[in-house]
Amino acid sequence: MSPLLRWLGAALLLAGAAFFLSDYHNDVYRKLLLWVTLALSYNFLFGICGQIAFSHFAFYGIGAYSVVIFLFQFHLPFPLAILLGIALCILFALAVAIPSTRLEGFYLALATLALAQLFIVVLNEGGAVTGGPGGLANYKLPEFLGTRVRGPWYTAVIVLLLLGTLAVLWRLDRSWFGRACRAVRDNPEVAAAMGVDVARTKVIAFTLTSALAGIAGMVYAFVDNTVNPPIFGLDNAFLLLFMVIVGGAGRHAGAIIGAALLFLLPFVLSPLIGHHHVLVFGVLVVAAILLQPRGLVGLYDALRRHP
Amino acid sequence: MQDFLELAVSAAASGCVYGLIALAYLLMIRPTGIINFAVGEWAMVGAFGGYLLLSEFEWPYPLGMAAVLVFMLMVGWLTERIAVRPLVERGAPLLAPILALLGMLVVFREAISVSFPPDPHPVPYALGIQRQSFFIIAVTSVVFIGVWLFFERTVAGKSFEAVAIHRRAAALMGINLSRVTALSFAGGAGAAGLAGLLVSPNVSAHYLMGVPLAIQGFTALVIGGVGRVEGALLGGLLLAFAEQLTVRYAPIPAGYAQGVPLLLLMLFLLLRPTGLLRAK
Repeated sequence: MSPLLRWLGAALLLAGAAFFLSDYHNDVYRKLLLWVTLALSYNFLFGICGQIAFSHFAFYGIGAYSVVIFLFQFHLPFPLAILLGIALCILFALAVAIPSTRLEGFYLALATLALAQLFIVVLNEGGAVTGGPGGLANYKLPEFLGTRVRGPWYTAVIVLLLLGTLAVLWRLDRSWFGRACRAVRDNPEVAAAMGVDVARTKVIAFTLTSALAGIAGMVYAFVDNTVNPPIFGLDNAFLLLFMVIVGGAGRHAGAIIGAALLFLLPFVLSPLIGHHHVLVFGVLVVAAILLQPRGLVGLYDALRRHP
Repeated sequence: MQDFLELAVSAAASGCVYGLIALAYLLMIRPTGIINFAVGEWAMVGAFGGYLLLSEFEWPYPLGMAAVLVFMLMVGWLTERIAVRPLVERGAPLLAPILALLGMLVVFREAISVSFPPDPHPVPYALGIQRQSFFIIAVTSVVFIGVWLFFERTVAGKSFEAVAIHRRAAALMGINLSRVTALSFAGGAGAAGLAGLLVSPNVSAHYLMGVPLAIQGFTALVIGGVGRVEGALLGGLLLAFAEQLTVRYAPIPAGYAQGVPLLLLMLFLLLRPTGLLRAK
């Protein structure tokens, strides 16, 4: 089967499933797809390029808020709002990445932690523009080319987003750039000696994955038709990191498995232990790092090698 | 003038709390290179220890404080045992313990949120509400003088510094690396737990109090520089004064004042990542 057919088949299968689900399950399914999309791009930044950043969820929020604000506060046309939103994400990403990647160590983690917190402060204090602590609500996806996408068709849009993100990251991972990222992760000095521009590789990987998170955020803005500060807080940034670690950092399959598991786990666990599933996540992460640093994908590999 | 003096005392007290958290980071980061974001949760655990012993069981303050300190030393030692030592012994990259400690952060927070109801828990003042600021300043001074003397005047302290300068060479000199790491984590938890206990009468013990403290303490550390113990206190004081002066005098909405430490952190990371005081 040719690769193109395989992508097409995956798209039909994933999107087709949405037409058989009830409204509630469609909502859960959309959020699952969005988490997987985010985990995939975060995995490229953290697992493949080896950078810890806590800003990925903030960029998701910047994308969501910017498209809503451009569309409904400034009344810009739909395509322009999307392009401006992406430009905004790229701009913020460059502003954080260029200075912090010049430094050794974990400065990116700290600068992005500050950015993520600052973003929440701005959202809460933004007054009429960001809607303050209550956020923005009561808007609808505008008509585009005379049609309004809704119901399971919007789920199909999210499937396209997921597969598009995966395709971009897949191609990148297999190009010279993906190999440069892995080299930078494993040993920056050696990478530099091989002729890889370490700082530039880090900045490009950060900017690109942040822009992908922003695009996912724009799609998210029309899932619940509301954006508010608590959604984009630090807790979800941690959850994203945990998904990638538990699934297996550095592998696309790991990101998908981790995101699906940690997203669906609360649905299974809450009848048993109420709202304390986060404790289980913490224990899972510590256990994964101590026992199986390659995550669930690594566990699968190990089982296949020694059945 | 009266107004400014009151502001200065309260800023100095919160600066001392930030300084203690920064000291906790510093104690661990110097010999091991590990940034432990769980210090905020340690402070939270210390605050809950204060609530349990001082409010629930009504122990006398000095006894309760000593018990919290001893308990926190054990928590730090245990955290190192569980989440750091196995990884260091295996030769895992530095990133692995940092991530494991992030996992521990969640474990601490959720363990407390499971064990206590979610509303804030009151912790009594040491010497009454008016004197709490002075009590915080006094305790912090004692801690910083003690730590400074330990590093400058004792052989054990020098061995920490030797590990910070060159791990391998220090090990070859006969310094027990795993003991230094264990002690640095115990000390870090002790400093963070004290900070939590000292700040808790003003803010009440709450299971979400950790992350803001962790960020403020880290900002203090970046301002002061990771190289020197005095830097942690200096950074904490500068941060607290900057915060309180903007809240009082700057013509911006109060909510935006929360952004001041974050902006300071980013500015320092960009312009002076080594902090104000350089390592000797």
